[in-house]
Amino acid sequence: MKSVKSTITKLSLVVVAMYGFSYALVPIYDTFCEITGLNGKTNEVAYTGSDIEKENRFIKIKFISNVANSAPLYFEPAVTEMTVQVGKPYNTHYVMKNNSTKQLHTTASPSVTPGKFAEYFKKIECFCFNQQTIDSGEIKDLGIQFVVDNDLPTNIGDIVLSYTMFDITNKVVEADKL
Amino acid sequence: MSTNIDHIKEEHHHQPSGLMRWITTTNHKDIGSLYLWFSLLMFFIGGFMALIIRAELFQPGLQLVVPGFFNQMTTMHALIMIFGALMPAFVGLANWQLPMMIGAPDMALPRLNNWSFWILPFAFTMLLSTLFFESGGPAAGWTLYPPLSLQGGNSMPFVIFSLHLLGASSILGAINVIATILNMRAPGMTLMKMPIFVWTWLITAFLLIAAMPVLAGAITMLLTDRFYGTSFFTAAGGGDPVLFQHIFWFFGHPEVYILILPAFGIISTIIPAFSRKKLFGYDSMVYATASIALLSFIVWAHHMFTVGMPLAGEIFFMFTTMLIAVPTGVKVFNWVATMWRGSMTFETPMLFSLAFIILFTIGGFSGLMLAITPADFQYHDTYFVVAHFHYVLVPGAIFAVIAAVYYWLPKWTGKMYNETLGKVHFWMTTVFVNITFFPMHFVGLAGMPRRIPDYAVQFTDFNMIASIGAFGFGLSQLLFVYILFQTLRQPVTAADKSWEGAEGLEWTLPSPAPYHSFDTPPKVD
Repeated sequence: MKSVKSTITKLSLVVVAMYGFSYALVPIYDTFCEITGLNGKTNEVAYTGSDIEKENRFIKIKFISNVANSAPLYFEPAVTEMTVQVGKPYNTHYVMKNNSTKQLHTTASPSVTPGKFAEYFKKIECFCFNQQTIDSGEIKDLGIQFVVDNDLPTNIGDIVLSYTMFDITNKVVEADKL
Repeated sequence: MSTNIDHIKEEHHHQPSGLMRWITTTNHKDIGSLYLWFSLLMFFIGGFMALIIRAELFQPGLQLVVPGFFNQMTTMHALIMIFGALMPAFVGLANWQLPMMIGAPDMALPRLNNWSFWILPFAFTMLLSTLFFESGGPAAGWTLYPPLSLQGGNSMPFVIFSLHLLGASSILGAINVIATILNMRAPGMTLMKMPIFVWTWLITAFLLIAAMPVLAGAITMLLTDRFYGTSFFTAAGGGDPVLFQHIFWFFGHPEVYILILPAFGIISTIIPAFSRKKLFGYDSMVYATASIALLSFIVWAHHMFTVGMPLAGEIFFMFTTMLIAVPTGVKVFNWVATMWRGSMTFETPMLFSLAFIILFTIGGFSGLMLAITPADFQYHDTYFVVAHFHYVLVPGAIFAVIAAVYYWLPKWTGKMYNETLGKVHFWMTTVFVNITFFPMHFVGLAGMPRRIPDYAVQFTDFNMIASIGAFGFGLSQLLFVYILFQTLRQPVTAADKSWEGAEGLEWTLPSPAPYHSFDTPPKVD
């Protein structure tokens, strides 16, 4: 029966290892997406790298917006389209209004399409780096400063930048209680 | 032999009787029976849910149930059939057969075995109780994709906890199976002399201990996302819902082979018995089973071609998926070659096995069609997918379980079922299963989406045919229950070797198989 015990020990280790592997898939997935530029994730902290050289090349950026789970928010880009010079920083903003009767906490999740060009879209400043607090009826301008990297391949069409705004009031209020 | 058995019976006369016998039993045959009866019960509960679905889909428009309840039915039907009917049925067969096939007195871990089974009734009571909640049962599909599953009602933590219990039960069962097969074979039975059913179960058990913990991880992440503020899958916190699909299908694809590999083992046992020939290509059968198991871990993303993947990913998953057709083709070829020039007879287990080969292959071919990435964009989430996986699971896995029950019933009970009624059961089942699922190919190709309670009027005719077939199929299974009870009422008449061409150690035991068998291991040359 000694061999049965050793079989059980080994198999239990496999079970524990595979449970750990399911969690390991999370960073593996993130790294994989970062390398391949999958799922259009943009940089999550401000771009602070060296200045990018301007190039005599222009590209069209389209801005779109979504509000998740029908939250009581108005959330739209101030301009829906910009033609920008590659390498030159630009400013634009989104407009958000709280249509509810109470203060809300929100956070935005950005995404670039086509996903593989996300790495060339550098955000110097973005409201998506922080959470927002907005009073009932308040209207806010949410600014972005961005630059398109001159490593951007030449044979591409338009780039679409999308923000989805989430109402996270419940989560923030619960966290404050603790 | 019989004096031997009387002696053994005297030694073990202290077991409790009545209900306590079943609750405290550590006997592999008792536990096998418990698993099989439980599986039959779940098969009817899950089947009843399927009939609610088919009744609603009999004609377009909403007639019987509200859409929310319809979604609960599709979700619960899948969970019950996969975790309640099929997996326990195979574990029950493993419990009954593995020790007898390898010449062992019992499973390696009898108390654990008892526990693996008795977890199940609690898990399913909890799962089914969610249907009586005010917010209803789970309605996000058995795949539990976020964000939908995170937005559901109060059933979610109950569903996840019951899935954890089912996973624990499966893992314990799998460890037991591996420990038994690796350590308790009769002297002389080398790995490559093991019956093929034992081989397929050994490989299935390895799939279980590799895949079930991943499911446990995925649903734990869902739970913490919903209740503890983590953001694995919630986009608001920087998570990604697509990540769940990857983790889920990393479990999910091995899971579908967990549901079919033991069925391959059953068919590979029954076909030679009724062809009166040895299994053709035993070695290649073992290698094919192992290859299918290994490949199952690198094909998962073919369930999510439309999610947005780079071209290289789509091509990789397309080709690896198609590669699985090679070892599966080897198996089908070997079954046909086993029958070639055999002196075949067509008793009920053989009929179900033959239907398995043909109908499972149809399901395999539609699987190949779904593997083709560009074509999958048309088929994805349509009834074509529903037709595909029902063809491999119903006339595939379930036919194999029914065939196994008919084949080993005389060994288990010492009583022979009524062959005429068995054949009637076979023909009704086979005709109705095709009436039910074949039209789904057509409506699927025409664009009817799955998981909807209402549909466009042009799909009406085929849906009516499918619904009629489903009710016919369901009623035919009542005949199966009748045959089982009628058999149990008969006197003991079955021969020790109930089938002329049957091979294996279990047929050297008396029928019915004694409560304790092979206390002294048999010798295998």
